[in-house]
Amino acid sequence: MPEAGSKLIHVVLKAEKLFSIGPLEVTNSMVGAVLASVVLLLAMVYFMRMASIVPNRMQSLIELPVELMTGIVAGTTSRWRGYVVLVIGLFVMILVANWLGLLPGVGTIGLRGEQPGELIPFVRAAGADVNFTLGLALVTFVVFVSWAIRLHGPLGYLRELAGEPRYMAPLMFPIHLISELSRLVSLSMRLFGNIFAGEILLGTMLALTTAAAFLLPLALFIPTIFLGLELLFGAVQALVFALLTMAYIILAIGERPGTEHEANAPAGNEGAQASAHAA
Amino acid sequence: MDSNLAAGLAMIGAIGPGIGLGIGFSKAMEAIGRNPEAAGTLFVPYILGLALTEAIGIYCLIIAIILIFAVA
Repeated sequence: MPEAGSKLIHVVLKAEKLFSIGPLEVTNSMVGAVLASVVLLLAMVYFMRMASIVPNRMQSLIELPVELMTGIVAGTTSRWRGYVVLVIGLFVMILVANWLGLLPGVGTIGLRGEQPGELIPFVRAAGADVNFTLGLALVTFVVFVSWAIRLHGPLGYLRELAGEPRYMAPLMFPIHLISELSRLVSLSMRLFGNIFAGEILLGTMLALTTAAAFLLPLALFIPTIFLGLELLFGAVQALVFALLTMAYIILAIGERPGTEHEANAPAGNEGAQASAHAA
Repeated sequence: MDSNLAAGLAMIGAIGPGIGLGIGFSKAMEAIGRNPEAAGTLFVPYILGLALTEAIGIYCLIIAIILIFAVA
C-alpha cells in the first residue's frame, strides 16, 4: 500500500523535454503530435496511390471522416467549399492525436526520472499539452478573422463588432471583442482539459485498482471501462473542435437572408491565400 | 495544503454545467420523443451545445489542476 502523503500517480502539467535539436527542445508531446501527423501522412500516401472508384476497406475507412464532416458542413451552410478542408483536417488530426494517446506504451514506456516513482515517457498524448491545443486554436482564430476581414473589409469587421444600435457601441464593442478573443481560450482549454483530465483519470483508476492484492481482479475491467470512455471523449472533442471552427467561420461570413447571391463558393486556394496573407 | 483546499473549492463551479447539461439533454430527449425523425437533425446542434456547456466545467477543472500542480 502506498504510504500516507505520497502521491498515487505522477503527473506533470508541462511536457518533459526529451532531447534538444539546437535551440529547440523536443518534448514528449511533440513526439506524440509528430506521430499523429505521420499516421495521417501515411494514410494520405496510401490514398493517393491506391485510390479507385470502388473503394476497398482501407479506402472506405479513410473516406469515412471526410464524408462525415463534408455532410455536416454542407448541410449547415451553402458556402462551404472554402473551408471544409480545414474542418476535415482539424477533425482528423485531433482524432488521431487523441486516440494515439490511448495506445499501450504511450505514457508508460520512458526514462527514469530523478525522484522515486517518476517516469519521463517517450510519447505523450499530444492533446495533453497546451501548446498543441493553443496552436490549433490559433489556426482557427486566424482563419475566421481573415474570412471576416476578407469579406467585409477591416472597417466592416470593426463595424460588426460594434453591434447594431450604433449608440450602444461603447458597451458592445468591448464585449464582442472579448468574446471573440475568448474563443481562443475556450477552444484550447476545452481540448486540453478533456485530454489531460482523461490521462489523470486513467492513471488514477489503474493505480487505485492495483493498490492492494485483493483489488487486482477489478484491475482487469475497470480501467477498460475508462479507456472506452476516453475513446468516446477523444472522438467527441475532435468533432466539437472542428464543428466550432465551422460555426465561427460561418459567423464571420455572416450570411443573412437576402445576401444569398454572394454564395458563389470561392475556390479552396483562395481561402488558403487569405490565411497566408493574414498570418 | 492551501492550494489543495482552493482546488477543491474551485470545483464547486462544476455544479452549473452539470445542471445545464442535464436540462439540455432532457430537452433533446423530449424533442426526439415527440418527433423521432428529428434525431438526425438534432444530433449536430446537440453535440455542439453539450461541448459549449461542458467547457465551463472544464475551465473550473483547469483552475483546480493549475492550483494543484503549478502552485507550491
